[in-house]
Amino acid sequence: MKLPSLFARETGTDRLARLHALFIIYNGAVVLLLAGFLSITQMKIIETRNARAFLSHLPSLPLPPLEGFCLAALSFAALALLSRLYRSELPAPLLRYACLALEIAACVLTMRSLSLAYDGIVLLVVVDLMHRYSGRHQVILLAAAMLGLYAIFGYNLALSSRSIVPFDAYVAYYAPWARSLFSSLHHGFTSLNLVFFVLYLVLFVRQKHQEKERIASLNRQLAEANERLRAYAVEAEHLAETRERNRLAREIHDTLGHALTGIAAGIDAVSILIDIAPAKAKSQLAVIKDTAMRGLKDVRRSVKKLRPDDLEHLSLRQAIEQMVASFSSSTGMTVDFSVLTYPPHLRQDQEEVLYRVVQEGLTNAQRHGRATHVSIALGMELGTIFLCISDNGRGADTEKLTPGFGLRHMEERLALLKGRVRYWSDQGFTLEVLLPANEEASKFL
Amino acid sequence: MKRKTALLCAFLACAYLWVFLVLQYAQPRTITLRIGLFAGSNWNVPQGDSYAFLDTVAARFEATHPGVKIRYVSGILQEDYSEWLAEQELSGTMPDLFFLPSEDFALYAGLDALRDLTPFIEADPACDLAGFYPAPLADGIEDGKYYALPVECVPRLMFVNKTLLSREGIPLPHDGWTWEDFLAICRRVTRDTDGDGRVDQFGVYGYTWEDAVVTSGATLFWDQGRTSRFADARVEDALRFLIDLHQLPEIREARERDFDLGRVAFRPFNFAAYRAYRPYPWRIKKATDFEWECVRLPKGPAGANTSPIQTLLMAMSAQTSHEDLAWEFLKAISMEKENQHLVLEKTAALPVRRDVLEAATPEEIFGAGTGESDRSPHAISAVLDDGKSPDRFQGYAAVMRLADQRIQEIVDGVRPFDNALNQLQKEVNALLQETP
Repeated sequence: MKLPSLFARETGTDRLARLHALFIIYNGAVVLLLAGFLSITQMKIIETRNARAFLSHLPSLPLPPLEGFCLAALSFAALALLSRLYRSELPAPLLRYACLALEIAACVLTMRSLSLAYDGIVLLVVVDLMHRYSGRHQVILLAAAMLGLYAIFGYNLALSSRSIVPFDAYVAYYAPWARSLFSSLHHGFTSLNLVFFVLYLVLFVRQKHQEKERIASLNRQLAEANERLRAYAVEAEHLAETRERNRLAREIHDTLGHALTGIAAGIDAVSILIDIAPAKAKSQLAVIKDTAMRGLKDVRRSVKKLRPDDLEHLSLRQAIEQMVASFSSSTGMTVDFSVLTYPPHLRQDQEEVLYRVVQEGLTNAQRHGRATHVSIALGMELGTIFLCISDNGRGADTEKLTPGFGLRHMEERLALLKGRVRYWSDQGFTLEVLLPANEEASKFL
Repeated sequence: MKRKTALLCAFLACAYLWVFLVLQYAQPRTITLRIGLFAGSNWNVPQGDSYAFLDTVAARFEATHPGVKIRYVSGILQEDYSEWLAEQELSGTMPDLFFLPSEDFALYAGLDALRDLTPFIEADPACDLAGFYPAPLADGIEDGKYYALPVECVPRLMFVNKTLLSREGIPLPHDGWTWEDFLAICRRVTRDTDGDGRVDQFGVYGYTWEDAVVTSGATLFWDQGRTSRFADARVEDALRFLIDLHQLPEIREARERDFDLGRVAFRPFNFAAYRAYRPYPWRIKKATDFEWECVRLPKGPAGANTSPIQTLLMAMSAQTSHEDLAWEFLKAISMEKENQHLVLEKTAALPVRRDVLEAATPEEIFGAGTGESDRSPHAISAVLDDGKSPDRFQGYAAVMRLADQRIQEIVDGVRPFDNALNQLQKEVNALLQETP
């Protein structure tokens, strides 16, 4: 599907460029032919001594034959060159407009040098005008520009109708049969030019249409890819979850299971030994304790692997700062993090809980409160660590608030450390966490 | 240090180049001013050396303007001149200045092929238009702008066969004579002198309806040739007078040969003919055995003794690249006293400057050895002052052809007189509307 559409676009543009080249060549040929006709006729008129009679039929003076021919040829060459320049990739729009203005001037000059006997080259300018411009108000601008162009030429025509040598005055020099031949040829050139113009228009519209089709198709492909990517992400998440669960299971099996099995077997042995050889039982109990301690260590090590990565190698303060920075940069929310008194000797589990609370609070402020600003304050007073997160979001009705997973998890985690959480909604939503710094402090809380 | 040297070298190179260019372009170069003119006289009279006038003026101009060359193509006959000019115009090789036949003036002015001289005239304090006779000057004006200046002019006057009149015992008419005087003399002299039953002495030859109309006080064309007034009562008077003149008891009309043989009392002629034929040797050829004199045309009851004045104009091409020099030359040929005086010496025409003509001797004007003429330069000057330049506009010739034909029919009695002029006016106006 991709290849054919690309292929079609290429040929469409190519064909259009080829037709435009043909259009220019045709117009050039007509201009040269007409200029040659006018010049040769003028020379013949001079040669056959009809100059006085010819002059008396003119409203104004024509250019001398050679000059007229050269002017027509040169100005058309300039027109063709400018047209090419205009169609090429000119960087500055100012340069492009200047190019177009010059092209119109060259067009007027060519027409004047041909005594306005041929107006087909106006269509060349119109084609160029159409080719390049593709903005938001394309149709309106294009229509206005074309109307303007025709107004210029109409005005030019009206202005110079008195001062332009009519084509018929030249044709009138020839024999009657030749006159009708020349007149019909003259009309034929104009008509053929119109055919070219219409052909160009048709190809142009088709090419534009094809381009639109291509873009739509690309869009479709993009949407499909997106969809697939999303599905893959969900799958990957599931996979990671399963893998983690398996790992946990393995871990529990390997560490806790191993230790507990050892402990159970040891206790069985001790229950028999305790009556026969209490001393042996005692030493065996010490071995069991060792096993239990080793199991505990293993559990701790496993749990440690679940700790947030940042906390692993940063202090709580730095970890929160980093999280705040990345969060505000990813969501656009402004977050103030101030530390009033940094609690000394924070335990790992305390750090982890506080870290998770900040994470959850920020997530809630963004997801539910739609807040734009959050301030976080961390401090310690009288052996109690407090963390306050308040946002300027739309808050929540605390009466009806049913704690979701986030809040419940938070409460559960805090309860494990004998901490408490409070929240209320006034100007936004405020969450306050109190955590005893040590065992003694928990008694006051 | 190196940089400084390079800069100095560049500066020196520029300075040398500048000096070289200045020397190259400041050296005097010959400017060629091309003039268009024709061989022969503009007034249908023989002329010895047709280029003598221009050659002398050019020589004087070249003497006062070093580095200027005056050039012209010789050998173009007067009848080919109009075509030659048109060819030059079409090929883009128009001379800077050219003599312009009156009938071509409207064409070239309409084509914007002539340089508007008004700015030159306004900017030049030495340019004195009041010194020109008004009619020749007006010939070069179109739409209130000066497109050409007159160089020579010739009035149309009535030639009188003095010998014939004195034989008949008729005094020479005076300058203020009227149609009745004219008619009365014509009636008296028209007769058969040798008794062979055929009229062999005639009153007038070559008096046209236009001569009658111009002295009737009527103006035929108005609005720069867009409308005509043939139905004017004064035109009617002129035609009735013409009919009276033609109803003299003649068997046949007078011919030119009759005038040459001295058998016609009056013949309107341009003054150039007088000046050309009066002196030897042309006098022998044209009028063998009679003395002649010229007076003004007779006037109608509401008109004046107006003379139509023909003018030879000189115009500047719109494409000239030496407009200031061309203007200098134009001024020299049309205004400078010495050059205008040359018109009297070298051509059959009259100067267009009043002071030049009035300062001339009668011999210079009327020809040497014509001491018997009692006319003074002031009388001729007055004729030019009162003169009228002929109408000219595009299509004038066609209109006049039509009018000629119709009026001939009226005078010959083919067409009844009543309402004929109204009809003619309608026809002429229709024709004028058609002309672009």
